[in-house]
Amino acid sequence: MVSEEILRTHLQELRRGTVVVASLVALRRPDYGYALLQRLTAHGFPVDANTLYPLLRRLEEQGLLTSEWNTEESRPRKFYRVSAEGETVLDRLLDDLAAVQTSVTGLIEGVDR
Amino acid sequence: MTSLTDRYVAATLRSVPVARRDEIAAELRASIDDMVEGRSADGRDTGVVEREVLTELGDPARLAARYADRRLQLIGPTYFLVWQRLLVTLLSIIPGLVGVIVALVEATVDDNIGGAVGTGVVAAFQTAVQIAFWVTVVFAVLERVGAPLDLPGWTVDDLPDAPADRDVPLSETCASVVMLLLTIGFLAWQHVQTQILTPDGDRLPILDEALWTSWLPFLIAVLVASIGLEVAKYRARRWTWRLVGVNALLDLAFAVPVIGLLLTDRLFNPEFVQRIEWVRDGDNLNVVARGVAVGVAAVTLWDLVDSAIKARRSAR
Repeated sequence: MVSEEILRTHLQELRRGTVVVASLVALRRPDYGYALLQRLTAHGFPVDANTLYPLLRRLEEQGLLTSEWNTEESRPRKFYRVSAEGETVLDRLLDDLAAVQTSVTGLIEGVDR
Repeated sequence: MTSLTDRYVAATLRSVPVARRDEIAAELRASIDDMVEGRSADGRDTGVVEREVLTELGDPARLAARYADRRLQLIGPTYFLVWQRLLVTLLSIIPGLVGVIVALVEATVDDNIGGAVGTGVVAAFQTAVQIAFWVTVVFAVLERVGAPLDLPGWTVDDLPDAPADRDVPLSETCASVVMLLLTIGFLAWQHVQTQILTPDGDRLPILDEALWTSWLPFLIAVLVASIGLEVAKYRARRWTWRLVGVNALLDLAFAVPVIGLLLTDRLFNPEFVQRIEWVRDGDNLNVVARGVAVGVAAVTLWDLVDSAIKARRSAR
């Protein structure tokens, strides 16, 4: 049996890129950091706050997200939404994710157990 | 808001680019407040929840590095191998060279051989520390600046030769054994030699006769053991770390007594020294003794380094 440590590292590697995809998909509907964190967790994408907040800023700097401060509620919050550019990138990412899934399926079927 | 969050936000902002501080501050504060509010909805104490949230966010410096997209490493994979190779190359040549030169210069201006060796060792060590420090500083700066090195990339032509099946050729073993036998032979010959005689025509040993009851048998035993080591090395086909250890012991067991005897004027037969006019003159005996001592030390040091290098190479 492999150690928990090794298993955890591999799962982490596997999940790393999917946080970006999940965030871009979720932010088709504008949201602020903490609410996005909860949505992602609820949909099976557990992500650490100290990973997600800097990630959102980075995606914004790359032009994949746009942001807007909402001052209507009790405290001002920064709402992010996916930009047109982000949507293009997201399409490519989703295609690739599907391609990976297809490849894995094909590989599994092709290999005798 | 409570001071813990204030302190956390301030600590995070400290290492974030100035241009983005205000916005990051506002967003981070709002996010922390959201998290605290969300988790204390079930009536838990906000103070406890705040600690929990900040603990989860972790070290502010780490969070700031993530915001600034800064890597938390001194020298990253881009530069590491170049840094390592350069450092190993420089450290394997320069400190030893500096140490030997300093020791030699010191030995010629000062009478104290032990002190000269000490000064050389200190100089070599200081040089090594300086080299390691400055090379690392330069590469750490390159890492921060992200300057491209534009070095030629790796090609298959850079591959080193595969380790030979036998690193220790028979010729080398034979040469070493012959040298050791000649040395033993010399130790015996000098006692019965008839080239240089006393005025009465008696034989005149070169080395102090008193040594036959003290150090000479020991030195000969060390030489015989060294022959054994050469044979063992030939059979092992290459230098192993165990052989390096035994070799170091034998080297030191030979060099330390010889140097000690040289420096305390107990190696040469006083009568023999008297027979040779040039050696007798002034300080010449001391100069010869010191020169031979430095020579023995240098050869021993070289042998130790050489064996370690070869063992390291064949261990790969």
